[in-house]
Amino acid sequence: MVYDGIIFGLIVGFFRGGLRHGLVQFSNIRLKAGWIFPLLLVFQFLMYDIQERSSTVAAASGYIYIAVYVVGLIFLWLNRHNKGFWLILTGVFLNFLVMLVNGGRMPVSYEAASVLDPVYLQMLKSGDAVTKHFLLDASTRLPFLGDIIPLSSPYPRTQAISIGDVVMNLGIFLYLLNIMTPAAVDLKSQPKVQG
Amino acid sequence: MSKLKSLAATLDSGHMYALSICLIGMSLFSYTNRFEFIHYETSTWVWIYAMTGACLILNFFMIQLPPEGNELSMDSSVYLACIFTFGTGFSLTVLLMNCLFFAIIDRNTSWWKHLTNFSIYCIMITVSAALFQYLGGNPGALVNTKLFTYLIVLTVYFAANTLLVGLYYYILYRGTLFETIKDIIKDSVFVFLCTLALSLVLTVLVYHNQILGLMLFMCLSVLLSQSFKKLFAMYRSIEDRANTDQRTGLYNHSYFEEVLEQEIQKSRSSGAPLSLAMIDLDDFKKYNDHFGHLQGDKLISFVGEMLKTESQKSGTVAARYGGEEFTLLMPGYDSLQARDYIDQLRKKLNNSSFDGVEIFPLGCLAFSAGIAACSLDIHDKSQLVDQADQALYYSKRQGKNTVHTYGMHSPLEQELDFSQDVRDIEQQLNLFMYKDMETFRHSKRVFRYAMDISELLDIDSISKRNFTLGALIHDIGKLEIPWNILNKKDKLAPEEWEMVKWHVTWGKKMALTNDKFKELAPYIELHHERYDGKGYPYGFKGEEIPRLCRMLTIIDSFDAMTTERPYQPTKSFEEAIIELRACAGSQFDPELTEFFIEYIETREHRTGDTAV
Repeated sequence: MVYDGIIFGLIVGFFRGGLRHGLVQFSNIRLKAGWIFPLLLVFQFLMYDIQERSSTVAAASGYIYIAVYVVGLIFLWLNRHNKGFWLILTGVFLNFLVMLVNGGRMPVSYEAASVLDPVYLQMLKSGDAVTKHFLLDASTRLPFLGDIIPLSSPYPRTQAISIGDVVMNLGIFLYLLNIMTPAAVDLKSQPKVQG
Repeated sequence: MSKLKSLAATLDSGHMYALSICLIGMSLFSYTNRFEFIHYETSTWVWIYAMTGACLILNFFMIQLPPEGNELSMDSSVYLACIFTFGTGFSLTVLLMNCLFFAIIDRNTSWWKHLTNFSIYCIMITVSAALFQYLGGNPGALVNTKLFTYLIVLTVYFAANTLLVGLYYYILYRGTLFETIKDIIKDSVFVFLCTLALSLVLTVLVYHNQILGLMLFMCLSVLLSQSFKKLFAMYRSIEDRANTDQRTGLYNHSYFEEVLEQEIQKSRSSGAPLSLAMIDLDDFKKYNDHFGHLQGDKLISFVGEMLKTESQKSGTVAARYGGEEFTLLMPGYDSLQARDYIDQLRKKLNNSSFDGVEIFPLGCLAFSAGIAACSLDIHDKSQLVDQADQALYYSKRQGKNTVHTYGMHSPLEQELDFSQDVRDIEQQLNLFMYKDMETFRHSKRVFRYAMDISELLDIDSISKRNFTLGALIHDIGKLEIPWNILNKKDKLAPEEWEMVKWHVTWGKKMALTNDKFKELAPYIELHHERYDGKGYPYGFKGEEIPRLCRMLTIIDSFDAMTTERPYQPTKSFEEAIIELRACAGSQFDPELTEFFIEYIETREHRTGDTAV
């Protein structure tokens, strides 16, 4: 779900701002401590890889993800003056919160997961999923922040997402749209006198 | 002090009202909702999120209606659909989520306003939901046979809204409650009908097609809001077109008058300075004659374009007054700033190139401008325009391509101009030398009186000039009266008397032939009007006659009484004063008469001389 906001933002941005303008604007993005973001991404992929081989790392994966989230939140906080970043920050924080109170893993509701591939559902049920997700049950804290929203047709992708994901993607979408569209001409810029 | 107190009282009652609304709202919320959302299934949460999202989107895509600032949000239709489909507790949870998110997004509005808003909605939802249950409605699908129930619930929802909001405005602004509510109802019947239809549509869609139904509804609402936005933009562009001059793109004359009125009001209430510039292209007629009207029009639009861009940059309002005349209204500019600004514009125009400028005397585009600053003694917008026009006329006379501020020529210049004017008028008066020596002398004497009096009266330099010159020229029309009538020793026959009366009208016509003496016309025409309305030519009464004209009548009569005339015995000053007093209130303005008598008496006292 991380990418949906980016994709939609890019599509709408190119439509509204034009390809050229959009690309020029895109190359002008300057974020504080911008190197953190790709680093976190690479780190996550490394984690997937290591988790499968090392059981100790797998056991501690919850805490490692928490740490990743904290770094990510700091990065977002530094850039909060950008449009949309407040929403991204809120969304990521909501996801972080539910993972924090649930031992570093994201709860997925059964109903939401039922739109997914049955293989994945089976993996969740058996509890031996090595990813950062687990099946939501009565003991789960803050269940409403978990992956409970099923996405399926007519939406082009089949997924279970959380409200944090939605808010975060909305933020990403607004951010991209804002940098890629030229400033709209204000209707009210003329001196306004009411008759 | 009492004002402050009443303000505090208003604030207090407003706050008290908001506080009580909040208390009622929150207790209703806790009683009805009982924080049931803690125990919601995850699937219910998904619906909560969806409905909250719908509300937020509808709040964002408001439907914009003319006039400016009139917007309506359709989020009520979502709440109502929630009541019909999911029940009260659910609706309240959606409301809570919506308000929480909205408070996070809209951090500029103070928290208690968000809370009051939340509470008002709480009351509306709880009351209408309770009614829905009472009338036997169950959450779920729309029941065809119960349409009347839905209608009643919607009406109650709407009524609660009107009452709560109306009370708030009533307390805040102290209107009459009935009027306030009537206004709200008048404005929002359309909203009510929209909400009504949409909530039922949403109920059907959500029940039968769940999320897809909600999405379709959202598409429809957003598109609707977008088309209303387009409509509104169209309305604005039409409104703009009605207010602009087609040739130049500037505002037109009628719009200018409207803005002028508003700006004068604004300046008076806020005390901010306001200046008006009247701009006239120099030698435009010459250009037009030389190159034809088509090219002339191009020049007009060129200058208009320049004025438009410049005025937009500086926040002033430029309008085409007519022909080659433009006006520039400058809020926040005092006369000095305005002068500098217009002078810059003038230089800019001098430096801009345009086809055929070589035929102008200066070899470049140029304008003359007159500036008038709005002051407290300006009561009518036409007064300000008049002053700017006079200043413009002055700068034309100074050789064009200049900017002049009303009432600001240097004393020396003024003196020179004035003596020039006096010489001009004297030349005309010299004709009396052979026709009627007495009128010649009379004019000179009245002029001297007027000079003295104008020093004593508290009037500005322009009125002073007009008054004294008017006194000098006031009998000029007598040149038209035949020699034999003018010099007749016997009493005049009625038809001859009628002819003498005509001298005021003839005199006015003579003055109007010369631009310089236009402003003197009232003195010539009205110096035989009487305070009681029995004078000629119009029979104006009291204040209808300009003050200085009333003064001139007194001087004129006084001089007539105290000098030898063919048809009147001469009076001494003392006798004349008695006569003036006798006629004060009937023929003369009593106040001005006293003023004049006082002047004569002090003068007599000082000089001890009776001759003038």
